[in-house]
Amino acid sequence: MEQVRSWKAQRIVERLSQKLTRQILLSLEACVHCGLCTDQCHYVLANPGDVTYAPAYKADKIRKFFKAHWDWTGRAFPWWVGARSLYSDEELEDLKDTVFGKCTNCRRCSLACPMGVDMATFNRMARGLLSWVGVMPEGVAVVAKDQWEIGNQMGVLKEDYLETLKWMEEELQEEYHDPTIRIPIDQPDCNVVYAINPREVKYDPRTIAEAAAIFHFAGESWTMPSEGWDMTNFGLFNGDDELAAAAAARVYDAVERLRGKKLVMSECGHGYRSTRCEGPNWLGREVPFEMESSVVTMLRYIREGRIKVDPSRNPEPVTYHDSCNNARSCGMFEEPRELLRLVCLDFREMYPNRAENYCCTGGGGAMSMSEYAPRRLRSARIKAEQLRATGAKIVATSCHNCVDGLYDLIRHYKLDMQVKLLVSLVANALVVPVRVPVPAARRPLEGRTILVIDDEPDVRLYLSKIFAEQGCEVMDAPDANQAMRAIKARKPDLITLDLVLPRKTGEKLYWELRRDPEYQDLPVVVVSGYASIESPRIDFHGFLREKGLPEPEGFIEKPVDVERLLETVRCALQNSRRGQA
Amino acid sequence: MHAISPQLALIQDELQIAALTFMATVYGLKIRWILRFRAGRDRQAPTGDADAARGARYSLAAIAMPWAMPSARRHPLLYFQFVVFHLAVAASIAMSFLIPYAPQAIAHPMIVRGLQALFAAGLAVGLLRLTRRLRDPYVRAISTPDDYFSLALLLVWLALSILAAPNRPDLGEGPLLAYFLLTAFLLVYVPFSKISHYIYYPFARWYLGRTLGHRGVYPLKRSRPAQA
Repeated sequence: MEQVRSWKAQRIVERLSQKLTRQILLSLEACVHCGLCTDQCHYVLANPGDVTYAPAYKADKIRKFFKAHWDWTGRAFPWWVGARSLYSDEELEDLKDTVFGKCTNCRRCSLACPMGVDMATFNRMARGLLSWVGVMPEGVAVVAKDQWEIGNQMGVLKEDYLETLKWMEEELQEEYHDPTIRIPIDQPDCNVVYAINPREVKYDPRTIAEAAAIFHFAGESWTMPSEGWDMTNFGLFNGDDELAAAAAARVYDAVERLRGKKLVMSECGHGYRSTRCEGPNWLGREVPFEMESSVVTMLRYIREGRIKVDPSRNPEPVTYHDSCNNARSCGMFEEPRELLRLVCLDFREMYPNRAENYCCTGGGGAMSMSEYAPRRLRSARIKAEQLRATGAKIVATSCHNCVDGLYDLIRHYKLDMQVKLLVSLVANALVVPVRVPVPAARRPLEGRTILVIDDEPDVRLYLSKIFAEQGCEVMDAPDANQAMRAIKARKPDLITLDLVLPRKTGEKLYWELRRDPEYQDLPVVVVSGYASIESPRIDFHGFLREKGLPEPEGFIEKPVDVERLLETVRCALQNSRRGQA
Repeated sequence: MHAISPQLALIQDELQIAALTFMATVYGLKIRWILRFRAGRDRQAPTGDADAARGARYSLAAIAMPWAMPSARRHPLLYFQFVVFHLAVAASIAMSFLIPYAPQAIAHPMIVRGLQALFAAGLAVGLLRLTRRLRDPYVRAISTPDDYFSLALLLVWLALSILAAPNRPDLGEGPLLAYFLLTAFLLVYVPFSKISHYIYYPFARWYLGRTLGHRGVYPLKRSRPAQA
């Protein structure tokens, strides 16, 4: 007699055909049951003798179902190859317990498999099948719902997010006694659009401030979006490709809306993987801008000398935990290590490390599945032993999920250790340039008047401050009309001009000035970020030729290099008739 | 060369060709079936100077680089067993072609003894594998009737390979008849059993390697022990 199948099981059977890719099919077919993956899994190592934790055993729960419907032998002689379909809701619950509660999708077993079976990938597929019929841990359902409905996985409201950023901005200004430090929101045409993990807003806003300080002292042109700021993605965890694609698209849309040149993501392993490595595949389209982890950004700033760090400010022994998603799934191995060596005095590896590191035990969304917490903490023994063996006082990691997972196990196993993100260590080591007032006699722009024309208030403020520190009087204007009025009211010695202005463009204003005998010799230094996505560097001379514009006295590309700007302004003033007079 | 009976001639030639043709046909259909499924691709920019093709090559070669695979490093003895067993099986496959079509190539007594030693080693390893499958609770829990049967089949086949290697039908055709009959059965059975894993191997490893190569994970950054 044919076995009756529950409604949910029937839907899963039907759905399987849509989820099978060639890679998943091969992974389901290729296993030879050699068992070499067994001791690669921290669950197995921490629960000796319990075969249900073995990767191949867990994988077989999915494989049996696949074989019953797709494998040739499995369909004809199911008992011979252990094939068995899913029939009851109890079986679905049992499968849920395995794919959500006994595997963090860390991919360690996949890399150890001689056959190249990628168990993490089809475990995610199984999660997706179950989620589709609502069979998932309660916490996963809640978080996924928040990400669908509110746009971020922690349900942070826009007002709270913006308020937190404002609060952090004020804290920063107070801490560094510098009112020019900003956390810019929705600034268009910036070099960097910075997206974060909502956990930062909700539980750890200090990391936003630390990143902001680093951007500020690096002189970066950056912004945070008011929408599409959550770079995490619960679709990776619950296997829902639609949610995964929608969450990634939100971030990409924000960058495109702001015409950002690069998306920099704060430290979150699964967010980085989802946005950088999986998002374009879920969406089925390529992304027309660069994406990088803030770890890479911070390292670049130090290498380029844009920020200075003092490792003696982090004297405690530090070890590094490779997030599975960053390392095993995205290849980020050496950058965090190089960064830690620059900002810490005593960096020491844990073993194993890099692609062979053990999961923090909080991966794969495990932190949101409270029903499995005792199991998770019991299995965390392996990680705890690994951490203890380093003798480090700080475990650095580049993932908020890992921070939570590690924090939990450190407390549970009473390790004398703290968890920190790399941004905190970098910010702590940051050497803030001391602002030495230039003596009045030596201020080279003393007595000059400069008009700053730019539609971005931040840029106007920033440039005005630079010129004021050089002793000159500064006027500013947000658009071409106000600029013209200011010039007529009081003729400046030089103007800095942004080409991208609302209504009348900077280009038109420039033409007007050059055609007007009264102002045709007024020195103009163009300060603009007028570049296309295809060619992020501006070919300014080509642009002038194309537009038939006369050459201005200087051109500075955004983000502004202060030294270059001042040098250009000084030269322009010296060479101008007015300057020579 | 020794004269052989019409039955042995039929079994070691026409029957093998028929069985091989059947196997090739099933494999052809299987590969067509695999290729019917859409292949996922990596649309994202590669990580740094990562190279998908290099990753795929590395992945395919990983089986011959035990130092590169964490499981092989952790279990060198199992890796050694894997090598011996698969060499023995490969040698026996080769022998099933050489005996009917180029018997002089393996006629030298030293070669015969070498082959027998290899088959015996493969048989011994196979027995160890069977013992492990029966005794190791983790492996036993995932073993299916096909796993046991396939392994048992190969053990018998390697045992028959030892007997068939001298290729002396003049001393009795029994071992050769049994060897070739089992070879034909294997050829027909293999595409439906776990033994067909070698058909999946290049595809599975190539796709995994391509993805991980694109992401800069392959070639694998090996875990280095902590500095003292």
